[in-house]
Amino acid sequence: MNELVSTSNLWRDALRRLKANRLALAGAIFVFVLILLALLTPFIAPYEYDFQNRGLSSSGPSLNHWLGTDYLGRDLLTRMLYGSRISLLVGFVATFVALIIGVSWGTVAGYLGGRVDSLMMRIVDALYGIPFIILIILLMVVFGRNLVLMFLAIGAVEWLTMARIVRAQVTSLRRTEFVLAAQAMGVSSISIMTRHLFPNTLGPVIVYATLTVPQVMLLEAFLSFLGLGVQAPMSSWGLLIRDGAVSMEESWWLLVFPATVFSITLFSLNFLGDGLRDALDPRSN
Amino acid sequence: MKNLKLKIFSISRTLVVFLLFNILILSCGQRSTPVEDSIQDQVLYLGNGTEPQDLDPHIVTGVPEHKVLLSLLEGLVVSHPEGKGYLPGVAKKWEISDDGKEYLFYLNENAKWSNGARVTAEDFVYSWKRILLPTTAAQYAYMLYVLENAEDFNKGKIQDFSKVGVKAINDSTLKVTLRNSTPYFLSLLVHYSTWPVYKPIIEKFGEIDSRGTEWTRPGNFIGNGPYVLEEWKLNDVIIVKKNPYYWDKDTVSIKEIRFFASDNETSEDLRYRSGMLHYLNTIKVTKIQSYKESYPKQTRIEPYYGTYYYRINVTKDELKDKKVRQALSHAINRKEIVEKVSRGEQIPAFSFTPPDPVNFYPSTQIEFNPKKARKLFKEAGFSESKKFPKIEILYNTSEGHQKIAEAIQAMWKENLNIDVELVNVDWKTYLDRQKNLDFYISRAGWIGDYPDPNSFLDMMLSGGGNNQTGWSNLEYDNLIRKAAEATSTEERYKYFDKAEHILIDELPLIPIYTYTRVYMLHPYVKGWHPTILDTHPYQFLSLEP
Repeated sequence: MNELVSTSNLWRDALRRLKANRLALAGAIFVFVLILLALLTPFIAPYEYDFQNRGLSSSGPSLNHWLGTDYLGRDLLTRMLYGSRISLLVGFVATFVALIIGVSWGTVAGYLGGRVDSLMMRIVDALYGIPFIILIILLMVVFGRNLVLMFLAIGAVEWLTMARIVRAQVTSLRRTEFVLAAQAMGVSSISIMTRHLFPNTLGPVIVYATLTVPQVMLLEAFLSFLGLGVQAPMSSWGLLIRDGAVSMEESWWLLVFPATVFSITLFSLNFLGDGLRDALDPRSN
Repeated sequence: MKNLKLKIFSISRTLVVFLLFNILILSCGQRSTPVEDSIQDQVLYLGNGTEPQDLDPHIVTGVPEHKVLLSLLEGLVVSHPEGKGYLPGVAKKWEISDDGKEYLFYLNENAKWSNGARVTAEDFVYSWKRILLPTTAAQYAYMLYVLENAEDFNKGKIQDFSKVGVKAINDSTLKVTLRNSTPYFLSLLVHYSTWPVYKPIIEKFGEIDSRGTEWTRPGNFIGNGPYVLEEWKLNDVIIVKKNPYYWDKDTVSIKEIRFFASDNETSEDLRYRSGMLHYLNTIKVTKIQSYKESYPKQTRIEPYYGTYYYRINVTKDELKDKKVRQALSHAINRKEIVEKVSRGEQIPAFSFTPPDPVNFYPSTQIEFNPKKARKLFKEAGFSESKKFPKIEILYNTSEGHQKIAEAIQAMWKENLNIDVELVNVDWKTYLDRQKNLDFYISRAGWIGDYPDPNSFLDMMLSGGGNNQTGWSNLEYDNLIRKAAEATSTEERYKYFDKAEHILIDELPLIPIYTYTRVYMLHPYVKGWHPTILDTHPYQFLSLEP
């Protein structure tokens, strides 16, 4: 049957509320532009990320190098662009990993309930107790440093909160009429979880995921800051900020530009996340 | 929106607290600094680079360890503060036989351990036995190979230590018999590997050949130097206090020395500039130029008898072929590294032994020639289609080493199109991995232990403790042995030069530059003279305005 009257549905409502929130909108636009730039980096970057013009060491912003160069004469703008690829990639992929593990874990625990639920959530509690930085450093030491491992390691740490959120949601949905109806009709548990329960947890999940991305990026920056991040000559924002912090007295631009862009990105993602929460879940306001 | 306002409110509240906190700190900032107070309390604050590996003179191999041990222990002789020969230490005088092979040391009766016991000739026999025992596995054992039969004893060919050329005739007379007449023998005696350790304390915590026991901890450590170990906080500070039993205690004017450990050049730099250190161990490469201009008196750049080089593990399949090693070496632009990267007036190195200080000028050459490098690489079987496997450069964490490694990484990429990974680890791990040949290429620096080319060249002997490349070459070993037996300096240097040629052709190590000592020293410190080995015995220093 065709819909004759345009009713207000959840998503359209959310979009409307989001548009009204200027900060969130600005955040969304900034993130979008950033992703676009990161994708286009190989075409728009003025230099190669590892190209060293050793004659032009630590020179300030100029026409040839808009944001200046570092000690080895590498163009900062280029390195920031390439760095954004790594930082965003880590941010999104690790969040995705966290999402997959967290949502499935939480859904299963919430839906099955009882002993299984207790057991699964105690495991989550136990994992919460492990100091995650040490865990990641340990993983890096044992398996060596590579990007994929970093995604997995960070993702494996970040899924815990996601699992709790989803579980709480599913537990409250489990006794609702539509689930009972589905059960009565003999729909398999897996179908109930994937078809009925999961879509209903989407709101909080999206919100939390958006807030996880900046958290993960910060974590990556932190690891790079400790010297555990990506390998030279590749760059990431964390690495650039670390190098900048070391030489901030001699070359301020090496710290100021990457740190500013990084902060704005984190703000944008947080505003976007806040906005999405307000939009998708009006009750919480 | 309400949420946001709340957030902004809490942010601004944090800001206010933060500002108040700052004001609090600033108002306390009027206090005088440790360096300003040092004239009064006679405490010397030294930046000492990285955390020492240990304080056992027969185990350690590094420069930071040397600087601390110099305050805690003393050998038969001590270095002249201006680098002019040697002064009496535990030995008050010595006699050398005409053929230069026999030394008689007469020990000072007043030379005491820090518990009041006398330092006897027997202590030296015990200590030298300790470092030479094969089971101690001391990397520096070869320093004493100049003694008769010492090499055979160290290699397990003879078991009887009484055959080795060192004997205690009585408590205060030590007789040393050398294998060959060795013109630099006295200079070995100011190196920590030949310094004595106190038998009762070693054996209280282990056997004669135990490594890494508790005896080097504060409270346990018994030494015979001008200072005693008071405190050792890991990765922070080592404090030593004046030794009341030191025989020459009247010369010692500084009451206490604090050695600060720091891997981070930036934080050490800040410490120096905020008056918490008298001595800044290394100036950050990015700051050398501006410090030369703004602190011309404190900034010091002095010749230093050392070589910065890359050690190559020749046991790795990728690096077995000497053509690969030559290609790597030809692809490094050393001039650019010293001018654009290290920037401390270093000199590009084309030999392992630094030229000049003792009038030895190796005649080896290494051309910067990318074309030749590519050709050699091709001959070794690598080309566009068969890419060189990924290898790693290992270095201990430091901004300076990292910059050089990144520059070399880029040069190899530009000139040979190979990918190299950089791996940085802390000092102890770095030393361990080198010792266990767990690396491809590792950054290394070698500072002469005594002013003679032998100090560099005998390190690369087959199986030498500090060789650490897996490289061995019989012809090379022969040349070094012949040099030791040579009677004239001219002849010795001829053999050394030939040995250098083998080294530069085979390249188990790639020399990069000859060091300069780049550091800062506060004007309060008096009696500090530039010396080629950067040794400044603390008893001759003083703190005066």
